[in-house]
Amino acid sequence: MASFMEPTQLKQSLGDDGILFVRNDSILDTMVKTLLLIASMIIVAALLPIQSSFSSPRDLDLIIYPDGSTHISTEIDIDPFLTDYELNLFGNTIDNLVVVGDNEFLLDTRIMDDSVLIQTFGSSVITIDYDIHDLVSKQGRLWTFSLDSPSNFTLLLPKNSAIVGMINLPINMEIINDQNQLTLSPGKTEIDYLFSNTISNSLSNTKIETNYFSYAIIGGVLLIILIGSVIIIRTKQKNHKSIEPNETTKKNTTLDLETIFKLKSDLREDDKELVKFIFNNEGEALESELRKKFLQPRTTMWRAVKRLEREGVIEIEKKDLQNLVKLRKNMEEEE
Amino acid sequence: MKKLAVFAIIVLIFGTVSPSLVNGVYGQNDPSILLRIAVQADKQIVNQLDRVYGDQIPTNLQILYDKGHGSVYSLDQSLPDDIEKAKQDFLLAMNSFMQISRIISQSSEKVVVVTASNTSRNSDSEIDRLEKYVKTLETISKKYNTDTESDFIKIHDLIQKLRIQINNGYGEYDDVINQIKIILDSIKNDIRESALEQRSDFIKRFLDRLLTQVDRQLTKAQDHGVDQTQIDKGHELILEIRELLSKNQIKDAQVIFVELKGLMENIGYSIRIT
Repeated sequence: MASFMEPTQLKQSLGDDGILFVRNDSILDTMVKTLLLIASMIIVAALLPIQSSFSSPRDLDLIIYPDGSTHISTEIDIDPFLTDYELNLFGNTIDNLVVVGDNEFLLDTRIMDDSVLIQTFGSSVITIDYDIHDLVSKQGRLWTFSLDSPSNFTLLLPKNSAIVGMINLPINMEIINDQNQLTLSPGKTEIDYLFSNTISNSLSNTKIETNYFSYAIIGGVLLIILIGSVIIIRTKQKNHKSIEPNETTKKNTTLDLETIFKLKSDLREDDKELVKFIFNNEGEALESELRKKFLQPRTTMWRAVKRLEREGVIEIEKKDLQNLVKLRKNMEEEE
Repeated sequence: MKKLAVFAIIVLIFGTVSPSLVNGVYGQNDPSILLRIAVQADKQIVNQLDRVYGDQIPTNLQILYDKGHGSVYSLDQSLPDDIEKAKQDFLLAMNSFMQISRIISQSSEKVVVVTASNTSRNSDSEIDRLEKYVKTLETISKKYNTDTESDFIKIHDLIQKLRIQINNGYGEYDDVINQIKIILDSIKNDIRESALEQRSDFIKRFLDRLLTQVDRQLTKAQDHGVDQTQIDKGHELILEIRELLSKNQIKDAQVIFVELKGLMENIGYSIRIT
C-alpha cells in the first residue's frame, strides 16, 4: 500500500546551503489535467441547465374567468430530435386548444383524457394555449382554485374577487386592471376567493414594508454594475472621444409614427398598436408595462417584442433586470 | 496558464453561486405582499361574518377569526425584520380565514360542490374565452397568409351579435357559438394546410433523416431475431412514406409515420434522431 503513496517522478536534492529542492517532472501533466478538469466542469455546468430545461415550462400563465373557467398559456422547451411530445394537461375538460411550434407553426394534436400528444416534428419550443374547467370548484359563494404546478406560475384572478384563504406563500403580487395577479411557486396550490362588490382598496393602502436585506443585495449588485459601467465608459471616452458628436446627432433623429409605418408597411395591426404605445410613451416602455397595457400573457408579449426586434423597429435593453423596449432611431439606415 | 485556470475557477464559482443569489432575491421579493393579502382577506371575512351572522357569530367561528386576526397583527409586527416568522403568520392567518369561509359557505347555503365545467358557465366569460381563441388563430393565420380574412370578419360580427343579445337578455346563444366553432375548425384546417405547404421542405428533410434511422434500427432488430413479418411491414411503411413525400403528400406521410412509430415501439425501438 505504501508504494502507491510514493511520488514516482519526484527527484529531491539537497543544495549547498541546505535547502531542499524538489523537482516535479509531472508539473506540465498536472496543469494539463487541471485545465481538462476545469474545461469538463464548465461543459457539465453549461449542459446541466439545458438538460433539465427540456420538457419543463419556461412560462406558465393562468387567467381565471368569472365563471371559474381558466385559460392556460405555457411555453415549453422540448427536445427537437423527437417526433412527438406528450404533455399532461391539468384536467380533461379542454376547450380551444392551440399548439404552435417554432415560427408559429400550428402543430397537430390528439387529446387523450388529461394529456395531449403533440406532433412536434423538430420544434424546439412549443407554445400551448387552452381553456380548462377543472381547476376551480364552487361551494355556495366560495370559489376554490386548486393546482399542482410543475413550475412557477402566474395566476390572474377575476375582477372583483377577493382572496379569503390560501395554503401557499406567494412569490409576488401585482394589480393589473383592478385584478390581482399572483406569482406562485411549484407544488400544490389552493386558493379560496369570493366575489364582492365591497372590495376595498386596502391593497394599495396597506402599509408597504421594505425587505432591506433584498434591497441591500440588489443595491450591491447595481453598485458593482454602476462602477463597472463608469470605468468602461471612462476608458471608452479616453479612447474614442471623436465618436461622441455622431452619437448625439443620431439621438435627435426620432422618426414619427407615419414614417415608421411607411418603412415597415407589413407590420401586423396588433404590433402597430404596440409601436404606437411605445412612441407615445417617449419612445420606450418596459415589457411588463406593455403586458399590463395590452393584457397579454408574458409569452405572447415576448413573442411580439421579439418580432418587432427582428423587424428592426425596436431594440431591447436590460433595465433593472427587466426588458426595456425602445424604438430604434436609425430605422431608415437599416432599410 | 495559471491566470487562465484562476479565471476559469472564478467563472465556475460565479456561475454556481449567481443563480442561487438571483432566486434568493426573487423568493423574498417584497414580503409586504403577504400583509396586503392577509389584511384584505381579514376584511372580507369580517364582511362575511357580519352579513351572515350579524352580532351572533358562532363561538367556533369567533375563535377561528381571533386566531386569524391575531396572526395578521403578528405578521404586521414581524415585518420587515423577521421574514420567517412573517411567513408562518401569513399561513396561519390564511388557513384560519380559509376554514371560516368554508364553514360559512357550508352552513349558510345549500352545499353544492361543482367544477366550473358543470355549471355556472357564464356567457360573458365564454365569449371572452372564445374571442381570445379567435385572436390567437387570427395571429397565426396572418403569419401564413391564409385566405381566411372573410371568415374572421364573419366571426367578429357573430361575436358582436352575441354580446348584444346577452346585453339585451336573450338566453339562446349556443347555436351562434356552435356556428363560430364550426368556422374556426375550418380556419384551423386552412392554417394547418398552408403552414404545412410552407414548411414542407423542412418536414421532408426531418422525416427523411428519421426514416434513414428507422431503416438502420430495422436491420439491427432483424439481427436480434425480431419477427420477420414486423421487419417487412416496417420496410413497407418506409417505402410508402418515401413515396408520399416524393409526391408532396406530407399530411398522409405523417399519418403513415405515426403507424411506423407504433410498430417500432411494439418491437422495442423508439424513434429519435441521434
